[in-house]
Amino acid sequence: MKNGHHWALIIIVLALSIFPIFLTGTPLPDAARSFWESSIGQPRGWVVTLRELSPLLIGGVAVLIALRAGLFNIGAEGQMLVGACAATAVALQMPNVSGAILAAIAGMVAGALWAYPAGWLKAYRGGHEVISTIMLNQIAVRLTAWFVKSPMKDPNQIADTSPRLAGAAEWVPVASFGRAHLTWAIPIGLLLCWLLWYWLRHRVAGYELQAVGANPRAAKVAGVNVSQITTRAMAASGALSGLAGATIVLADQGRFYENISAGRGFDALGVALLAGGNPLFVIPTSMVFAILNAGTSGMGLEGIPKGLSGLILGGLILIVGSLRTKTGGSDE
Amino acid sequence: MNDFLTFAMNVVALGLPLVLAALGGLVSERSGIMNIALEGKLLGAACATSLVAASTGSPILGLGAGLLTATILSLGLVWLTQSLRIDHVVAGMAINLISLGGTNFAAKALIDQNQLSGAPTLAKEMYWGLGVLAAVVIIVGFARTRPGLHLFAVGEDPHKSRQMGLSPIRVRVGALLTTGILCGLGGALILTNAGGFTDGMTAGRGFIALAAVILAGWRPGAAVAAALAFGAIEALRIQLQGAPVFGVEIPTEAWASLPYIATLIALTGFLGKTSPPAGLGRI
Amino acid sequence: MRALDAVDFSALPGQIHALVGENGAGKTTLMRVLYGALDVTSGTVLLDGNEVSMPNSAAAIARGIGMVSQHYSIIPALTTLDNLMLGAEPSFALDRKAATERAEALAKQMGFSFRWTDKAEALSPASAQKLEILKLLWREARIMILDEPTAMLSPLDADALYGSLKRLANEGATIIVVTHRLPEVFEFCDQVTVLRGGKLITTQPVPELTPATLAELIVGRPVEIPSLPESHPGKELLSVREIQVKGDRGDDALKSVSFDLHAGEVVGIAGVDGNGQKELFEALMGLRDVYSGEVFLGGIPITDAAPVKRLEGGFRLIPEDRHHEGVIEEWSLTDNVGLGLQNQPPIADRGRLDRGALERTASAVAERFRTKHGGLDQPMASLSGGNQQRFVAARAISGEPKVVLAFQPARGLDLAGIADVYAALRDVSRSGGGVLVVSYDLEELLTHCDRVIVLCHGHLAEPDADAARDRGAIGRLMVGVGE
Repeated sequence: MKNGHHWALIIIVLALSIFPIFLTGTPLPDAARSFWESSIGQPRGWVVTLRELSPLLIGGVAVLIALRAGLFNIGAEGQMLVGACAATAVALQMPNVSGAILAAIAGMVAGALWAYPAGWLKAYRGGHEVISTIMLNQIAVRLTAWFVKSPMKDPNQIADTSPRLAGAAEWVPVASFGRAHLTWAIPIGLLLCWLLWYWLRHRVAGYELQAVGANPRAAKVAGVNVSQITTRAMAASGALSGLAGATIVLADQGRFYENISAGRGFDALGVALLAGGNPLFVIPTSMVFAILNAGTSGMGLEGIPKGLSGLILGGLILIVGSLRTKTGGSDE
Repeated sequence: MNDFLTFAMNVVALGLPLVLAALGGLVSERSGIMNIALEGKLLGAACATSLVAASTGSPILGLGAGLLTATILSLGLVWLTQSLRIDHVVAGMAINLISLGGTNFAAKALIDQNQLSGAPTLAKEMYWGLGVLAAVVIIVGFARTRPGLHLFAVGEDPHKSRQMGLSPIRVRVGALLTTGILCGLGGALILTNAGGFTDGMTAGRGFIALAAVILAGWRPGAAVAAALAFGAIEALRIQLQGAPVFGVEIPTEAWASLPYIATLIALTGFLGKTSPPAGLGRI
Repeated sequence: MRALDAVDFSALPGQIHALVGENGAGKTTLMRVLYGALDVTSGTVLLDGNEVSMPNSAAAIARGIGMVSQHYSIIPALTTLDNLMLGAEPSFALDRKAATERAEALAKQMGFSFRWTDKAEALSPASAQKLEILKLLWREARIMILDEPTAMLSPLDADALYGSLKRLANEGATIIVVTHRLPEVFEFCDQVTVLRGGKLITTQPVPELTPATLAELIVGRPVEIPSLPESHPGKELLSVREIQVKGDRGDDALKSVSFDLHAGEVVGIAGVDGNGQKELFEALMGLRDVYSGEVFLGGIPITDAAPVKRLEGGFRLIPEDRHHEGVIEEWSLTDNVGLGLQNQPPIADRGRLDRGALERTASAVAERFRTKHGGLDQPMASLSGGNQQRFVAARAISGEPKVVLAFQPARGLDLAGIADVYAALRDVSRSGGGVLVVSYDLEELLTHCDRVIVLCHGHLAEPDADAARDRGAIGRLMVGVGE
């Protein structure tokens, strides 16, 4: 019976992902070819895919660390925004390499500060982190929109955007293949995946964090300071989300504008859920999402709206969510 | 005086979609199903109303499509959380993503924008009447009827409710059906207010409605009041147009953030402790 | 697995019928069948001689069958009146005035009194039990099934409860009581049915049996009571001086409690559930604030020490709620063994988690009580409740503990398991540690502990030396009836 429900879900998700393409009148093979070429089938695709990868990789690790502590960081989106905004502010003042490093740090600090209230509310006031991070997201969108309209706006532009960063973007690539840049953000993201994996498995603090996530009462009885770990995990998650936001500016866009994160925070939640709790799996799953984003934006040229990626992403999250609960322990 | 009347009308116009969505969210959360998908339901309803009204020329069919869409999304949440046992947050977020993506897709792929903005709509006054009716029915129903008591009991403890002969799943289906209808009306009203569909037009109103539910401590009367208060903030923002208040220039973004800031403060519990339904989100 | 194997059971109106048996004997399963919460694979249920089908609880209620489960089905956030009506409201629109009148009438009939508009969270266990009985009357139940109805009641409240049940039986109700307290069976019940291993052993009128024969029927062999080994208490190990602790609702859960636990001693804490046992253990583990008074370990004050410091100092806890506090069910056995030991060598090595040590400890712990498991890498959820309890107990006594706080360590275990656990606790005391045991079963404490002290309403009392093993005297202390 339950199996039947799972098959029904998979069929619905497939229908939601493929059927809309027929509505646009674009032949399916053309759509598929466009997807392939604009993601990993052609060098120009790789340019986009690699650009998409870094915030998803780092953002995925960010959401995952919170998830392991039993926290749904729906707020990654807002933390990315404030991180990106803060990084831009610093990088505009210091257009050199040390400025770029400081900018990344500023992004982390901003993200951590933006996540901290959610962790604190959960740990000490019992406020659900999903609610508080949703609220913080909405505030972040408006706060950063105001920044880019007023103090940070490039006076020479009609649109609300910060001035272009000088220097930072040129510094960031580690290696370039034609127009495809392998930026520093990607090795940093890979390193973070491995570090988190090691820390969770081989450090007492990582063990305690996971105990809090799996059963806070049992963790408390085992002498773990649950409130402290909850607050710190949320702040750490925010710091990494802020870093992911900073990379969008420093390694990709080279400027800040309204809603620059464009849903990547929610993508990151999908990346972390799909990774099933293992930081190393964030590497392939963030790649899947990067390809998905690059491919669907490429399909836009064929007249297929980019909303398709939301349909696919949402469906993917549901399938993963249903599989996870299936293998999980018993409920009340 | 005339200014005040305009302001009052604006409060109703802007507050009523929030009232409808907040009542929908309240019924859902009271039944134990955490609902962060109000935004997706409003958006889906607004889009479907506009598409069908524009293509058939019938505003009634349009509203019907809006109600149907929101109801499907709402019952989808029951199916996902109760039958497939997907986490309520994950399911809600996925529904939001699907709705955001689907409406973007539908609006861009199916109909050109001009046609969408010309969709015929029903009179706003009808929605106002329905909104007041919904508020009264839910406030009274919560306090004084059997379904109200069952809803409360199931949200607090589905297991014990089952022992007392209730059917939690039936109560939840009923609750989310109500949520769907209320969000459908809310979405259709947002569309009617705006005159035409634009991408992401609900602009976080589903989250403001959720904020109202939490600020109100999951109580229907207070939720209506909170939603209207948020409507008033919005009306004030529009009326002031960024003009200074007591000599201080308040950016429009700050006004727009007020409901969310108020909710964050409410979550600290310093304004008085309220607690969510004990069984909220726990399958 | 077959929980019930071709069991015949019948109960008559006007009688209190006791259903007894060890854990896992099938009592709960049988009750759930009668209440429509579980379907039978074969066999029938007859009501007034007619075969009936009860696919769910609602159907059972409609046929006049009501059940009170051990943990009550009262929803704390609802008012007392709403709890009474829930699921059996007279009409679509709730007429609370009329409902209050009917409720008052029912309460009067039973000699109870309630404040109907108060939230049910304020009800004491005894009042909650009374409300449960009123719920059955509200539904006009003719057949009433009660699961361990006295588990949370003091002896006096328990007597009053059976008084009410007797009255209902005299008025023609059929009452089925599941209990493990044999004295109740002999004092109040008319018939008794014994189940063992899912099979029917016997149904007999109570007067035909003696306590010894009934105990033998339940266990399946003669019951021998182990003799208590001689103990030689040493120095004061844990000293508690006039501590006061708040309960969850801000009430005074412990009111100036003082006692000493000596090295080499196993001390039992008797008392009815909810008299401060949980709060005492949580305070001793540092999980709950002590707002007045002091606690010393070997003469050193530890009143405000963090839980982790106490664990490092040799404190171990076998928690009350194993599922929620003792283990992480989705984790493997290996990962679970670290809980509480994660900050100490050999598992911790300057912040590094030694996974090799974790595995070695896990296999030693599983070995200790012959925990049945399908591999140490299997999730804890794959173990039966009894085996989880063995694992938790074995973990608590590993690594040379100084003070073991054991909350109902025998819960869910068979007789052999109980003997194993107490033998292990005895080992702790032999090697110079001290053990505090909370149990709601006075017999168990008297059988296994060197000394029994009593908690009642947050006050601690110790029987006089000459009454140290006198059930009557200790029982009176448990209900706060004078020294």
